[in-house]
Amino acid sequence: MPAKQLSEVGIVPSAGVMPTPGSVPPTWSRFRYPQSLYKYGALLGAFAFIAFALDYLKIPMDRLPGMLGRMGEMLARRYFPPNVDHILNAEYWHTVVETLQMSYLATVLGIAISIPLAWFASFNMTPSRRYVYPIARLIIMACRSVHEMIWTILLVAILGFGMLPGALALTLFCIGFSGKLFSEAIEAIKPGQVEAIRATGANNLQAFIFAVLPQVRVAWAGISIYTWDVVFRAATVVGFFGAGGMGQYLRESVQRVASRDVAAILLSIVVVVIISELMSAWLRTRVAKAIA
Amino acid sequence: MQTVLEVRNLHAGYADREILKGISFTLNADDFFAIIGPSGAGKSTLIRCVNRLVEPKSGEVIFNGRDMLKLTPAELRGERRNIGMIFQEFNLIERLSVMDNVLTGRLGYTGTFRSIFRLYTKDEIKQALVLLDRVGLGEHIDKRADRLSGGQRQRVGIARALIQNPKLLLVDEPTSSLDPKISREVMGLIREMAREFHIPVLCNIHDVDLACDFCSHVIGLQDGVKKFEGPPAKLDKQALQEIYAMEVL
Amino acid sequence: MNALSIDARVDGIAAGRRRARALRFMSTFLILAVVVWSIEAIVIADTDWNRILTGSLLSTMQRFLDLDWSLLPDLWEPALETVLMATLATLAGLVLSIPVAWLGASNITPYGKTSYAIGRFLMTMSRSVHEIVWGLIFVSAVGLGALAGILAMAVRSVGFISKTIAEAIEDVDPKPLEAIRAAGGTKFQILWFAILPQIIPVFVGNMIFEWDINIRRSTILGLVGAGGLGLVLFRQMAMSNNGGIAVVILAVLSLIIFGEVISYYARKAVI
Repeated sequence: MPAKQLSEVGIVPSAGVMPTPGSVPPTWSRFRYPQSLYKYGALLGAFAFIAFALDYLKIPMDRLPGMLGRMGEMLARRYFPPNVDHILNAEYWHTVVETLQMSYLATVLGIAISIPLAWFASFNMTPSRRYVYPIARLIIMACRSVHEMIWTILLVAILGFGMLPGALALTLFCIGFSGKLFSEAIEAIKPGQVEAIRATGANNLQAFIFAVLPQVRVAWAGISIYTWDVVFRAATVVGFFGAGGMGQYLRESVQRVASRDVAAILLSIVVVVIISELMSAWLRTRVAKAIA
Repeated sequence: MQTVLEVRNLHAGYADREILKGISFTLNADDFFAIIGPSGAGKSTLIRCVNRLVEPKSGEVIFNGRDMLKLTPAELRGERRNIGMIFQEFNLIERLSVMDNVLTGRLGYTGTFRSIFRLYTKDEIKQALVLLDRVGLGEHIDKRADRLSGGQRQRVGIARALIQNPKLLLVDEPTSSLDPKISREVMGLIREMAREFHIPVLCNIHDVDLACDFCSHVIGLQDGVKKFEGPPAKLDKQALQEIYAMEVL
Repeated sequence: MNALSIDARVDGIAAGRRRARALRFMSTFLILAVVVWSIEAIVIADTDWNRILTGSLLSTMQRFLDLDWSLLPDLWEPALETVLMATLATLAGLVLSIPVAWLGASNITPYGKTSYAIGRFLMTMSRSVHEIVWGLIFVSAVGLGALAGILAMAVRSVGFISKTIAEAIEDVDPKPLEAIRAAGGTKFQILWFAILPQIIPVFVGNMIFEWDINIRRSTILGLVGAGGLGLVLFRQMAMSNNGGIAVVILAVLSLIIFGEVISYYARKAVI
């Protein structure tokens, strides 16, 4: 396999390897005809595609140069210094707790739903490949394909403002996210253990609990913590579309065009997200060690 | 002699490739059958057709007076409890303890709800303990299965099969993951247990010497066809040549 | 052998199993206690059930199910735009990822711990800030439109792409690296000849994955005026045309299923 990869990218082993007579062309090149033709053709095609896409989307490329300068200038002028007082109050901290609650409920609920769904949506373990498998896959894919903020907007439209639509939207997001990863973990298990449990006369559920769960336990725990991290990240923003949590403040400040308040909120979001990321990394290694 | 298992004209395989081409044999109480043959001959498939881990295409597998191939899924699970199975790669649940691994042999007798909480009766725990003492692992009950050596793992596998109270033992290449010395110990243990509990054994085995030393009866399989059947004494050079004709040595 | 009688040992084992079970129950209980606390806050305290139950819950949902198929012929062009935007964003993300991955891969980072920390910080920043926030930032820099959306997606993609590239680089088999270093190769040559060939399979899979994610991201970036299906979606929302919203979402779903099919074959071709 490695040899094939090397030749695929045009590396001809030269040092230390005696070339077979006749295989080395007179002028050495990384690409040999017709391989060179494909490589340059593909590159040309890619450039043509990019040019076409830029033109089709009517993207004003002239705005790109100096973008960083303009951004810096604007950030300095309008967003700096962040109005920290806007977020240093009990009410704002309360929304941070709300964000945590939403993400927690959504993750637990989403994972509780994902577990059976992932089982049904794994090709090797599904109770029925013809009926259950495609339905479960479709549910997971439908949850995934709609952006979590679109879910939020839809659910806010149905249920009204508040944390409930946010938590439900995040639940759907969590199902799509962890469901896919869970089922991929199931598809990677060793089939022998399943066979052994089946041979004892165990039913499908018992085979799942005793042959599948022990094998995916560590992977699932890691995925679950990571999912919580990702869900929390999204939870900080769902408020922007009318669900609860820190995002409400963002929405309100953006609408007031209070740029320095916005800056403070964005800063606080980045800080809590980085904290959650560090915690989740720490928790992942701890849990992996504890249950490995 | 009481007949335990009767296989009649068994066919198995996929749409494009036939693996078993009409196998028939009869296994009586106290028999220890060895199935020998080159790899790819269909030994594993044959053994798995008995408890339907592989679905056969046609034929009959009469076990316990019923045709296994005609059972509903629930009936099949009930019948599988009566067939213990020992595997080549041991197939223990690596992250569970030795005790929990042996107790999984009772799953067929345990209700779904009880098994979720790993609730086994004291009687079952006692049986597991007695069996583990018997196979020489009484000191290792709390160890995780993946901390054991190959020979120890196969002993756990034997205990797991026996705690089912099986009326038949299917054994799939029990020694090919083990070194020669441990292989003989494991085969000896299987034979000893089979005699003690009066369980007939159907055993796939690659190693002809082991087959002849431990088994009472040999079936030679080649390319899905039975080429030989008889006691080990009758397994001469001629017969072996016919069984292994396809294999380039 | 064991000195204890068999029944005493069984009792000991049974007691141990009871303790383990109690521990499992306890941890489950803890998880559920926090769930109850969250439910209390979210479902009971914060939700106006009166309004939901007496109000128009069912009729609102009904309006979403009343699909507005008249929109369909006008969706082809935005769908193409979405695909183009996601592709451009993924490519731009890749271009931005290469230096970040170079900094953030511990075995090739140029200036030791400092550059490694910078690389890792850039990755975290990219992933930590939601695409909505990136979108808002870029709108103020380049104005409303597809460019802001593409930049937001590109920057948001950097975290994932560069992290996986860096990890792939760290997992690289060091032998070809040494061979080229021994032959007097430059740093660039090491990168190009020894590292790149080894990480290509992982890399292609991850690019397809990120492209897939960018398709769905592009829908929400309609908010910043980025074109494609996202813009159509936000227009339908502004018009409160629920049937239209549902149709656009279905269009996104089919686009992603289409992408999934393509990625399945692309992965098969590469790996």
